[in-house]
Amino acid sequence: MWTVGLSALAWLAIAGACLLVGSSGSVGIPTASNFVIRRELVLMASLVGAALAMAGVVFQTVLRNPLADPYLLGVSSGATLAAYVWRLPVLAGGVSMLNDLAAALGQQGFAFAGAMVAVGVVFTLAGRRGRLDPVTLVLVGVIVNAFCGSLFLLIHSLTMGLAASGGELTFLVGGLQTALTAQQRGLACTVVGVGFVVLMYVSGKLNVASLDEAEAVSLGVNVHRLRWVALVTASLVTAGAVAVSGPIGFVGLVCPHLARLIVGTDARKLLPVATAMGASLLTLADAASRLLARESLAQTWLQVGVLTGLLGAPFFMFLLWRSTRDR
Amino acid sequence: MSLLHAQSLHFAYGPLRVLDDVSLDLAPGELVALLGPNGSGKSTLIKTLTGFLDTNGEVAWQGRSLRAWARADLARQVAYLPQAPSHSPGDRVVDVLRLGRSPYWGAFGVESSRDEEVVRRVASDLSLTDVLNRPMSELSGGRRQLVFVGRCLVQEPRAMLLDEPATFLDLRHQVELLRLLQKLTKEQSIGVLMASHDLNLTAAYADRLIVLHEGKIVAAGSRDDVLRAEILSPVYGVPMTRIERPGGAFVFPVVP
Repeated sequence: MWTVGLSALAWLAIAGACLLVGSSGSVGIPTASNFVIRRELVLMASLVGAALAMAGVVFQTVLRNPLADPYLLGVSSGATLAAYVWRLPVLAGGVSMLNDLAAALGQQGFAFAGAMVAVGVVFTLAGRRGRLDPVTLVLVGVIVNAFCGSLFLLIHSLTMGLAASGGELTFLVGGLQTALTAQQRGLACTVVGVGFVVLMYVSGKLNVASLDEAEAVSLGVNVHRLRWVALVTASLVTAGAVAVSGPIGFVGLVCPHLARLIVGTDARKLLPVATAMGASLLTLADAASRLLARESLAQTWLQVGVLTGLLGAPFFMFLLWRSTRDR
Repeated sequence: MSLLHAQSLHFAYGPLRVLDDVSLDLAPGELVALLGPNGSGKSTLIKTLTGFLDTNGEVAWQGRSLRAWARADLARQVAYLPQAPSHSPGDRVVDVLRLGRSPYWGAFGVESSRDEEVVRRVASDLSLTDVLNRPMSELSGGRRQLVFVGRCLVQEPRAMLLDEPATFLDLRHQVELLRLLQKLTKEQSIGVLMASHDLNLTAAYADRLIVLHEGKIVAAGSRDDVLRAEILSPVYGVPMTRIERPGGAFVFPVVP
């Protein structure tokens, strides 16, 4: 259990340190006014990172595939697309009549529906045995991502000048947004928090679900029900985070693997440690991207998804190489 | 009361009939061997007894119908070892053993001190204590199979259903495994039903033999009753001959 506590402490230390990095890349003790902005960035980065990492643990365990990750599976892009549709002018008239909480609920609901459609496609292709081989997984992810990407660009080009959207980049690389309402933040926190408790509750059974189905059943686990509970919760958690950040790649892939190196395969420890790692990693990446943005000529905002993509893609190649070598 | 009572089991994969009116019993402390060629229905029979496959016959464990058992409760009574048992990549021996205690875990997978105690005891009984922290991938086939038998034992079951547990083992490990099973049945009164391909070796240790052919039980009884050329030749599709020895009967295929 000490590893779980230690990883939580590590996150606290990292989050504290990242409070020293300003939103314009300046480093130093924050003033009272920019402390609020930095705190929000650090907390959102932690929340989104934690959500993606815990979803990654679940997808990897339930699909019994080391390459599974909410981004690569297309779950993130499904959720992003749906959250984007929610902000379309067609719906905007209705949305403007809602209060902030209802608007935030609608966004989360759309993101969840999008994530479920994507995970449904994955699960259908996984077939009855519930196992996806690495190559099929990559193909499914490519297809879902490409489809969602095309659909996004189609909608975007038909509705140019969409005021509330963050532009084409939002879909391609996610980043942390500071213009969120308190309701959006609160709801994302609630969804991810509840999801974490549910996943911890079934974590012991997740260990058993990584066995062949007949063995898992003989150890007292209703595998079908568990898979559904775990996948739906992981999709909900992904959607909860992605709705406010856009798709941030590879956090959900890298963190479970790093955590596994420390605590092994036991989901009861892996889940909390990977979650703390996800929070730490994305907070660090966000602080780093703020520093990088300061160094750049244009002094622009660098989406944190750019950095995680740059670091995560080589890691993915390494895992793919290893999994095809082992077969 | 018998540990297991199975009556009129039928099972088919689509039009393919795999089990045809199979009935059997298993008593506590009894080691029963399930013999028969590939595709005779041994694995399917075992999977219907675990409840993994639905059958329209009646299966009762300790007098209670399979359907009336909660899955986790049944997992504390009946352990199952498939032909190719699985574990997560990177698992250590202790991880695999611990998983056998999962039917006893509380909410959030919380273990009791007793769970740890049982794992240690079984590891010690099977001489696995010194390899507890070794990765499964570093173990020999014989040792690995012993770990999986250990996973069944930490369930503290009344019955064990083993699907060809000795298939990939060398002769010494096969004998060791059968001795262990015999010891478990006699000392702990566990009932064991095991599918096997090795007629003579299995017969030497089993209390009773059941021969399955094309989904039907074609013979059942003692070593002397079952190891007969006229029974086994048609079942395996090769001419067999029987040799009487002071310890019991043996059968061999007749090779030109």
